[in-house]
Amino acid sequence: MSIKAFELVPAIERLKLMSDKAKTQIECIDVCGKNLYIGTNDCFVVHYILEERPTQAGRMAFHNEKQGHKYLALKKPIDQLRAASALNRILVLCDHTLTMLNMLDLEPVMSGAKVKGVTYFCLNDNPVRGNPFSVEVCVALKKKQIQLYTITEDRIIHVKDVSIPEQAIRIGIDGHFICAALASQYCMVNFETGQLQDLFPYDSESTKPVVKRISKEEFLLSGPSALGMFVTSEGISQRPPMQLSDNLLGVSYVHPYIVSLNDEFITVHSILDQQQKQAIPFQGGANIGDFDGRVFISSAKEIYALVPVAWEKQVQALLADKRVQEALDLAKNANHAGLSKDKFLKIYRRFQQQAAFIEFSQQNFDEAKELFKGGKVDVRELLSLYPGLMPSSSNFTRSIPVLHEIADVNNLCKDNEEMKKDYKKFLRNYLEEIRGTKDGHGFKQVIDTVLLKLYAEINWPELIPLIAVDTGCDLKESVEWLEKYERYHALGLLFKYHGENDKAMQIWSRLVNGEIKDELFPGLEFVVEFLSNINDPELVWKYVDWALEKDQELSVKIFTERPSNEPPTERFRPETVIDYLHRFPKAVIAYLEYLIFQKKLEKEKYHTHLAVLYLDSVLQLMKNNNVKKEHLDNARSKLRHMLQLSNMYRVQLILGKVKEQDMHAECAILYGKLEEHDKAMKILVHKLKDYVAAENYCFVNSQGKDSTYRKRLFHILLGVYLDPSNERKDLLVTPAVELLNRNVTEFDTAKVLQLLPENWSVQLVKQFLSQTVRKSMNFHRTIRIERMMSRGENLWVKEASIQMQKSPIQMNDDKMCAVCNRAFSDPTFVRYPNGIITHVHCAKNKHVCPVTGKLFSICSKNS
Amino acid sequence: MTTSSADKRKADLKVIILGDFAVGKTSLICRYIEGKFRPHETTIGAAFFLKQWGPYNVAVWDTAGDEKYTGLQSFYCRNAGAAILAFDLNHESSFESLWARFLPLLDNANEDCLKVVVGTKLDLLQPGSREVTQEEARRFSREINNNIDLKKLDREPYFETSSKTGQSVTEMFEFIYQYCLPLSEHEKKSAVETKRTSAFNTSTVDLNKPAVSSPKRTNCCSR
Repeated sequence: MSIKAFELVPAIERLKLMSDKAKTQIECIDVCGKNLYIGTNDCFVVHYILEERPTQAGRMAFHNEKQGHKYLALKKPIDQLRAASALNRILVLCDHTLTMLNMLDLEPVMSGAKVKGVTYFCLNDNPVRGNPFSVEVCVALKKKQIQLYTITEDRIIHVKDVSIPEQAIRIGIDGHFICAALASQYCMVNFETGQLQDLFPYDSESTKPVVKRISKEEFLLSGPSALGMFVTSEGISQRPPMQLSDNLLGVSYVHPYIVSLNDEFITVHSILDQQQKQAIPFQGGANIGDFDGRVFISSAKEIYALVPVAWEKQVQALLADKRVQEALDLAKNANHAGLSKDKFLKIYRRFQQQAAFIEFSQQNFDEAKELFKGGKVDVRELLSLYPGLMPSSSNFTRSIPVLHEIADVNNLCKDNEEMKKDYKKFLRNYLEEIRGTKDGHGFKQVIDTVLLKLYAEINWPELIPLIAVDTGCDLKESVEWLEKYERYHALGLLFKYHGENDKAMQIWSRLVNGEIKDELFPGLEFVVEFLSNINDPELVWKYVDWALEKDQELSVKIFTERPSNEPPTERFRPETVIDYLHRFPKAVIAYLEYLIFQKKLEKEKYHTHLAVLYLDSVLQLMKNNNVKKEHLDNARSKLRHMLQLSNMYRVQLILGKVKEQDMHAECAILYGKLEEHDKAMKILVHKLKDYVAAENYCFVNSQGKDSTYRKRLFHILLGVYLDPSNERKDLLVTPAVELLNRNVTEFDTAKVLQLLPENWSVQLVKQFLSQTVRKSMNFHRTIRIERMMSRGENLWVKEASIQMQKSPIQMNDDKMCAVCNRAFSDPTFVRYPNGIITHVHCAKNKHVCPVTGKLFSICSKNS
Repeated sequence: MTTSSADKRKADLKVIILGDFAVGKTSLICRYIEGKFRPHETTIGAAFFLKQWGPYNVAVWDTAGDEKYTGLQSFYCRNAGAAILAFDLNHESSFESLWARFLPLLDNANEDCLKVVVGTKLDLLQPGSREVTQEEARRFSREINNNIDLKKLDREPYFETSSKTGQSVTEMFEFIYQYCLPLSEHEKKSAVETKRTSAFNTSTVDLNKPAVSSPKRTNCCSR
């Protein structure tokens, strides 16, 4: 997987200086700001000024100008060069000696400070001491030792020696830690404590050791089999190794890339995923170095710069290759220097958006969904990919520059219908998720309209809730769409939501009539409920006829189940409704039942009307011979219930009709209403022979009246049982005896005894008699007790009265009324039990003392 | 994906897997991390996976079984809190290698390093093809863990797994975590939750994370 992370740009083509000497070769380089230093194999140090000059085409180019050169007169190659700009010096390693030159004129320092026997040196980029005018340098010596120096402008100050088991070939330093490549292994040395930790062995035959400081306390080493090994100062690895190329000459690091050089290639690896990203063929490479984040590479004669391609471009390139994850990782981890968080976020969002559409086009829906959300993609951008779904009211145009190259979903799917379905399913899920969240903010109408379209297409059950509750659907467009897919019930709901009840009713009435079909439509009940709940009499009256013709009993609910908070209107006055309902007998009954039993309206007219209607329906059933008994019974019990419960109807009217038909039970009730209990009970006993009902009758008709009334009723009943004029009175002995024996408390014994036929044995009524005797004894004794107690109480009161009156009260002119404080002129006065004396007319309440407010009770002993 | 976003965080536990070439170390880890079985290329050097365990980060290091990397393996064993010693149940030689080649490497690991012996490729086991008995593997697992108190474990540190079917794989890893980073029941539950959501983590930008800038640039004037 490749990406163009860097561009190779020539910095200094041929060394002009050495044109006369063909043998001269670049040995080492260093770049510091605009200064570029070259150390040659024939002991020259050459100084160039290098300036970046972008060409008109926007590419980077370099302009170089030679400043000067210095021959060190050692006839040995310059092994290493490092500029120390803080000191205005360059450190030069040549012939195992470390010396210093002035950075600008390349003259040796006056002090002549130097270190001998050095094989390699490095600067501490993470210095331990904070002096900005000194540089910490670590050197590897020919002997088994590493030395630390602090270098100032003209002095090299020895700090520390560290002994190591073998000679160090390469070293790197960070803080207190020196990572050293020894002859056969790498080790990590803490120069403060002298602690040495072996890392891992390498084969010095096949591997050129490399120690590259990557970041704080982390180094990259070249391991066996060309593995680039990451090591922290703790001696462990926190990243997996990366496979670098063989014959590695050196590595550089520009976040997030590791650039490595061998004799044929420049190779770029990402430190993020350890994968190779780019390879640039480069023959004869010798040195590689990163200087202030710029990578330079030299061959024997030429110097090149590796100019990083802007990370935005790299991300764009990755996205173009549809390498989404890589692109986003890079975007997140790239060097965002010079970008504020907001700016970066803006750029990153755009990449996320592009990525989202890439994942989308590859049907990676989960990833796409997250990216759509994360990238805050304008939902219309996505919708515009679905032909026909975008609301026509939206004048959306895709953002420019384009986020994707997708024409539309149909184009993506070619003719694959399954895939199209998947895409629509994705859109549905996505919209459902963002609906009502901040992601969907501001697009409610668009989202709802599109969802409606999607639901309508597949007849999804969510369609109904979508429309019925807080919908933002665009009416006109939704109507067209719903009609197209024949989602009529939803259409009705939509009209209803938008207050177009008439249109809604048109749809629903057609649905009920079966002219159009929709399986989601719940049926007539729904329409009735709707009509009963809308506050629009015009509409109700318009459709009520139709509804009643469909189903009277159901449709009457339009009137009976009006919302409780609906103010009473002229249009729904009971009289009006009843008049109207005249054609629909069942509906009338239901409506009257509602008025009487639920609303508890006490109008004779309604009650009589209902009773008559009940009666009519019973009569109708009776006429018809082949009606099931249950039906008839049902109808009659309804009638009886009504007759019994209500007191408002015109009894005579009903009675007349009932009598004609020999409806005895009803007759009995009606006689009861007329207080003609004798007649009623005769019917019950003789005609119906229902003795339980007869007894019941006594209870029911005496309800709410005093006990003597009930007694009277029972006596009437008994009289009916024992009527001597009755021919078949023997049959009634049993119920009579039972009645006596059970309801004994309700009878006046003396009257009963008169009634009883002479031929009855005492045995027959023994139970009644004994209970009666017991009862009257009890009654007699209770009365006596009461009488005695009353007498006692009377004595008590008398005594109290005597007590109070026994002391004389002297009245004279000095005595004043306690209330009005005037003298007494009449001989009458009032004395309260507590001695307060007032005029008769001043004693307003004889139980309350007018002065102290004390209460006096007549029976209270203490008063 | 896991490595790129998470490598900056320090791991609370390092688990290393060792074992002979082609015993299925990478497959074992992939079965655990990705939940699926797929063929793998030979691991080069080592590979690295980060896993959430409750509040902890666990670094799982996969090593290359190839003998040429032996020198590196001992380096990668450094600071390991737990080691998985994997062998192929169908090859006795791979079991012997554990003792001969890999056990000495663990000298670099933590002193109290838990060593779990894992037999792989259980699904390939035919009647008669087993070359390592359960008893000897169990005995081996007890012997090599004499540095720790075995009574603290609720079972012997020996598992027989199949990366193809996933048998015992998750149990084995969670056995290790539960020993090294014990979680309460409640935390365990939420650990399962994060397992589910972690897939989305990488698609968001962490605004609290400091912008990564080149470390070289800042040091310019101290040269």
